[in-house]
Amino acid sequence: MLLHTDEQTIEDLRLFSKRDQPGIYDIYNNTSTRGGEAVLEQMFRHPLADRDAIVRRARILGAFAASGAKFPFHAGMLDTVEKYMSQTNDNTDGHKPVMGEKEISNGVSGVITLMHSVKSFVEDGEIRKIPELSAERKEIMALLSDPAFTPVFNEKPDSKLSFGAVTAYDLLFRNRERAKLKQILNFIYDMDVYMSVALVASQRKFVFPLAHPKRTGILKLEGVYHPELKKPVPNSLTMDHRKTVVFLTGANMAGKSTFLRSFSTALYIAHMGFPVAARSMEFSVMEGLFTTINLPDNLGIGASHFYAEVLRVKKMATELSMGRSLFVLFDELFRGTNVKDAHEGTVAITHAFAERKDSMFIISSHIVEAGDALRQKPNIGFHFLPTRMKVTTPEYTYTLEEGITDDRHGMIIIRNEGILETLKNGKKS
Amino acid sequence: MNMKFVIDKQSQEELNLPGKFRQGSVYNLFNTVKTRGGEQLLDELFKNPLTDESSINDRTAIFRFFQEARLSFPFDVQQYTLMREFCDAGNGSGLPATYFNTILKKSLSVITRDERYKAIIQGLQATIVTLKKCYGFVITLHSMGGPFAARVNTIRKILDSPELQELLNIDIYRSISLGSIARYDHLLRNRQNQNINEIIRFIAEADVYMAVGNVAASAGFTYAKALPRSANCFRAIDLRHPCINNAVGNDIDMKDGSNMIFLTGANMAGKSTWMKSIGIGMYLAHIGFPVAAKQMEFSIREGIYSSINVADNIGLGYSHFYAEVVRVKNAADATATGKHLLLMFDELFKGTNVKDAYDGTLAVTEAFAEYKNCLFIVSTHIIEVGEVLKKLNNVQLTYMPTIMKGATPQYTYKLERGITEDRQGMLIIRNEGILELIKN
Repeated sequence: MLLHTDEQTIEDLRLFSKRDQPGIYDIYNNTSTRGGEAVLEQMFRHPLADRDAIVRRARILGAFAASGAKFPFHAGMLDTVEKYMSQTNDNTDGHKPVMGEKEISNGVSGVITLMHSVKSFVEDGEIRKIPELSAERKEIMALLSDPAFTPVFNEKPDSKLSFGAVTAYDLLFRNRERAKLKQILNFIYDMDVYMSVALVASQRKFVFPLAHPKRTGILKLEGVYHPELKKPVPNSLTMDHRKTVVFLTGANMAGKSTFLRSFSTALYIAHMGFPVAARSMEFSVMEGLFTTINLPDNLGIGASHFYAEVLRVKKMATELSMGRSLFVLFDELFRGTNVKDAHEGTVAITHAFAERKDSMFIISSHIVEAGDALRQKPNIGFHFLPTRMKVTTPEYTYTLEEGITDDRHGMIIIRNEGILETLKNGKKS
Repeated sequence: MNMKFVIDKQSQEELNLPGKFRQGSVYNLFNTVKTRGGEQLLDELFKNPLTDESSINDRTAIFRFFQEARLSFPFDVQQYTLMREFCDAGNGSGLPATYFNTILKKSLSVITRDERYKAIIQGLQATIVTLKKCYGFVITLHSMGGPFAARVNTIRKILDSPELQELLNIDIYRSISLGSIARYDHLLRNRQNQNINEIIRFIAEADVYMAVGNVAASAGFTYAKALPRSANCFRAIDLRHPCINNAVGNDIDMKDGSNMIFLTGANMAGKSTWMKSIGIGMYLAHIGFPVAAKQMEFSIREGIYSSINVADNIGLGYSHFYAEVVRVKNAADATATGKHLLLMFDELFKGTNVKDAYDGTLAVTEAFAEYKNCLFIVSTHIIEVGEVLKKLNNVQLTYMPTIMKGATPQYTYKLERGITEDRQGMLIIRNEGILELIKN
C-alpha cells in the first residue's frame, strides 16, 4: 500500500534536484550502482502507507547501519555487467548496436565474478544476521544453486576464458537465464540502496522514527531540522488527537517555510521507512501526505493564484471525503486575494479541517485576526516563529513558540530601503 | 534634444516589446518587412524611442502618408539583397587597380572556375535593376508630395547625377565590355559608394514605412499625437492590446491634477492586460508607430517603468518580495529625479502576505501620488487600499468588473469607475463545495 501524495508535494519538499538546487534525494543517495539509484528514486517517489512494510524496511536499514557493512561488490565491475546485460543478443533486426567480442568477453567474466561474490555475500555476509531479509536471501541462494549455473561456480573468478566458453556463457546469461540474472541484479540494487542509506544515516546521525498503527493520532517530532542546512536550528512539535490542527504565524523571514519543509520532509521520509533528520520521532502511519508551499500561478493560462489555491484546497477536500487520514500542509493559505476574503476563507477552511479528527493539518498564515475565531475549536493549536527587533533590524530565533504573533516587517524592509524618504525628498514639480 | 528615453530590460520584457524570436512580441507584430535592411532599420527605430514631440509627429506623418498611399513594395528582394552585398563590400582601390583586378578575376574564372567574376557581374546587374526600379519609385513618390517629399528629393538628386543616369540606361541583357564592368564597379563601390548606400538605406526606409503602414491599415491602428511633456496628459479612446485578437478596448484620460489611476478587480478580470495595453501604447507612440486605439494623444515621457507579473517566474517567497521592493526602489529613484515618467505597478507586493501588501501598497502609492509630473497606474486585488486612497484628489479609481453568472464568474474587460465590490473569494470556495466535501 502506497502513501497518497503528488507532484506538488514532491516539488514543495524539493525531494529531487532542480537545476542548481540539490534535493533531499541527493542527501540519501550514496549508491554505487545505476540500478540502485533508480530503485532509490522509486522509493522516494512512492512512500509507503503500510506500517509493516515501513517497520520492515526501517529494521533492515537499522541492522545494516548497526553493522556498518560496506557494499561488497566492485562498482566498476557492476557497471560493466549492467551495460552488458542491458543489451539483448537476439539481435535479428540489425537495428541495435551489436557489442564487440571484447565487450562480450568482459561482460561474461564480469557476470561470473559477480555471481561468485553474490554467493559469498548471501552465504557469509552481514545479510545472514538480518531476519527481515532471510526470504530474499534464501531465494537468491536457491537461484544460485540452479544446475544451469553449476559451470559458473566451477570456473575461478577472474580466470581467462576461451572463445568457445565465452560464447556458451553469453548465451546462458543473456538468453536462457536472463530473467534469473536480472533477479540477481535487482537483489544487488536493493542491497546497494539499503547499505548506502544505512551509511548516510549513521554518518549524519539520522534517527529511525517509531511507526504507530494508522489512526492512532500520534505525530511527535523532537529536534527536527532541515538536512540541507549547514547550521540548522532544531524544533519540536507534537500533534495528537487533542491538537489535529496547527495554526502557524510569523514574519516573512522568520523561518516558517523552512520549518514546514523540515517537518513535512521528516514525515514523508519516515513513510519510506528511512531515518530522518531529527532527535527523535514517533508517528502514526498516514494514508496521504500533501503540502502546498510554492503553488505555481499559471497566469499564462489565465488562472489566478487564488483560483489555483481554491482548486488545491478542493483536492485536499476530495481526498478527505474518501475517508483517508491525511497530513495536509498549507503555507500562506489564500494569499492571492484581498484581506477580507483571505480572512473569511482561512477561518472557514481551518474550521472545516478541525472536524476531521483522523487527519493532521498545519496551516500557516499572516491573518492573525483569524486566531480569535479559531480559538473556539479546542483542537486547534497555535504556534509562531518570533522576530526580535534590534532597533530597526529584525533578528530571528527560528525557534517555535506557542501562541500567535503579528510580527510583520514588510514595511520595515520597505522603510529600510529608504523608498519612502527618496520619494519624500525627490524633485516634485 | 538628445535626451535618452529610459526603459529597462525588465519593463520591455513585461510588455513583451522586443524579440524577433519571441512569440506574440510587439516587435513581431510589426516585423513584416521584406528585406534584411528593412529589418535592421526596424530594429533601430524600435529600440530608440524619441523624446521630442516634433520628431515623433514627423515620423507618424510619414507612416500615415505610406499607409494612405497604399503603395506596394516595388523592389525584387533578392536583387536588392545582392545589391547590398555587392555595394557593402566597398572597394578602396582606384580605377586602374580595379581594372586590373577585374581582368585577373575574369582570367581566373576561365582557368580555375573562380566564382568571383560571376559575382561581380551578378552584383552589377542587380544594382542596375534595383536602381532602375528605385528611379521609377522616386518619380511616383515625387508626384505625391507629402511629408516624405524632402527625402525623396534628396534621393532623386542622387539618381539624376549623370554618372548614375548612365548606369540606369544600360540594358543588362546586352554584353558589357570588360572595361565598362571595371569602371562601373569602381563607380558603385568607390566613387559613388556613399550615395549608393544612401539609396540602399532609402529602400530599407520605404520597406519599413510600407510594412508598418500596412500593419496599421489591416489592424485598424491609428497614430498618436505627441504633446509637450509639460502638459502631462494621456488620452486615448478604445485603447487595446495590439497583439490580442478582438481585444476589448478601454478609454483612458489622465491629466494634470488627475495623474494616478488606481485599478482594482478580481485576478482574471483583465487588470494586467489593460496595464500592458497602456504601456505598449505609450511605447509605440514614442517610436512614432501606430497604436491600437481609435484616437490617442499623449505628453512626451522620459521613460516607462513597469512592474507587471514579476511573480510569474520567481516563486521564492521572501526573495521575491525583496525583488519587488528593489524594483519599487529603482522606480522611486527614477521618479525622485523629477523626470516625467509613466509608472505602472501591477499587484504591488504580491510576493508577501496580504497585510504587508496592504501596508506597502498604501504607503508607496501615497508617496508616489505626490509627484504631479508623472503618470501612475497602480493595480491591486487588495481593494481595501482603494478606500483610503479615495481621499487623494489626483487619484482616479477604476476597476475591471466581474459578473457572476450563477456560479461562474464572467468578465467584461470594460473599465468602470470606482472600486470593485467583487468579493467572489468566499463565493468561489462555496461554489466548489469544498466545505461540504471536508465535512462529509
